[in-house]
Amino acid sequence: MKMDDLSLSGPDNTKLEALVHDIYSELVEDACLGLCFEVHRAVKQGCFFLDEMDQESMKEFEIVDKPGVDIFGQVYNQWKNKECECPNCKRLIAASRFAPHLEKCLGMGRNSSRIANRRLATNNNMSKSESDQEDNDDLNDNDWSYGAEKKAKKRKSDKNQTSPRRSKSLKHKNGELSSGASAEPYKYNYSVGINYETLGPEELRSLLTTQCGVISEHTKKMCTRSQRCPQHTDEQRKAVRVFLLGPSALSLPNADAAVESDGYSVLDGQGLMSRLQWEDSPENSPTDSASSKSSTNHLDSRKPKKKKSAPAPFSGGGGDGPQGSGCQGSGCQGGGGGSSCSQGNIGSSNKKKRPKLPTVSIPTLYNDLN
Amino acid sequence: MFPRRCRIMSTDSTMRATINQKLTEMGERDRLKAFLGVKLTECGWKDQIKAHCKEVIKDKGLEHVTVEDLVVEITPKGRALVPDSVKKELLQRIRAFLAQHAT
Repeated sequence: MKMDDLSLSGPDNTKLEALVHDIYSELVEDACLGLCFEVHRAVKQGCFFLDEMDQESMKEFEIVDKPGVDIFGQVYNQWKNKECECPNCKRLIAASRFAPHLEKCLGMGRNSSRIANRRLATNNNMSKSESDQEDNDDLNDNDWSYGAEKKAKKRKSDKNQTSPRRSKSLKHKNGELSSGASAEPYKYNYSVGINYETLGPEELRSLLTTQCGVISEHTKKMCTRSQRCPQHTDEQRKAVRVFLLGPSALSLPNADAAVESDGYSVLDGQGLMSRLQWEDSPENSPTDSASSKSSTNHLDSRKPKKKKSAPAPFSGGGGDGPQGSGCQGSGCQGGGGGSSCSQGNIGSSNKKKRPKLPTVSIPTLYNDLN
Repeated sequence: MFPRRCRIMSTDSTMRATINQKLTEMGERDRLKAFLGVKLTECGWKDQIKAHCKEVIKDKGLEHVTVEDLVVEITPKGRALVPDSVKKELLQRIRAFLAQHAT
């Protein structure tokens, strides 16, 4: 036992230190011995010098230590500056950008199809005003998704669009253009209208004072949007009024007037709304194809949350400038539904409510709204 | 002097025996061994020693090298080549163990 000179004081500590060092030496010797046994065994078994046997292969695979080259001797940024000629467009593209360029150029691959579908969707959305019977649900999916959602959900609808049936029908629709289609993102672009034949003259008149009322050629329905609906011109509205009510009823009430006359609009609004509510929902199922119903359900399931936020932005987006602000200012009340709202908005907000809850009664519907 | 040394030696040896026993029983020795092995491989000590082994073998001849030869040649070099950091860390661990379990 050696008593080493250590920094610690006291005999015990030196003893302890000695012990520590002894233990350390023991451990290191164990490691050395272990290595010796290992080497000796490898030598006796003949596998110790295996990687040094063949001089030729050793020279071949020697580690390369030159600048600009990796240890295998390969230049590592060799392809960085190379340009490839695209077989499609004959352009020279950088090597690292070649694959994505090809994807877009040839129109194959996930991204390019997604972009193309989205482009188709937006084009169709803008150019389409009324819906065909059979293509209703495709279009409505289009409208709803485009209008009310952010991009994430829009992509979802685009995915739906890639089925062969839908893409075909979408392409057909491109030919139908509406007059004055605007690029405004409408929150609810629902275009199912009212059948004018079932309404009496009084009802027609009250309807026509609040709504656009232009009759679609395809569905024979009146447009339920506001007086300032951008899909139809004032001339169209005038023509409809003449057609339905006779040449005497040429009063196309002004949007502004509707806003100011809140008092008279209250009762009418309520009555109108209730009628519209009930008229529209039964009409949806039988007259429209099953597809439109599915589209409303489609909307139902998809965005129950959006309801609460809908009123304010929608009134702005519905194309009624002054009306919208008026509605927002006073706040759409519940119950009869927006008693202080102007008629235009009542119609429009009703329109928005309808697809979501066709089975719920009106008061509860507007309670939900607020 | 002698009796006293005997007494010191005996207490020392008892203490040593106890500590060694504890080291083994509690698995600390194995842990320390494993730790040392890892550290020596990391720092390249094992490769160095193996290279030295090769030289010794080439000296002595492949067929006739014995374990004793290797041990005699390699152990002193091995002990000397252990890096300081590894040595310090190991000593620290041992000290910590002793501090916990010796008194």
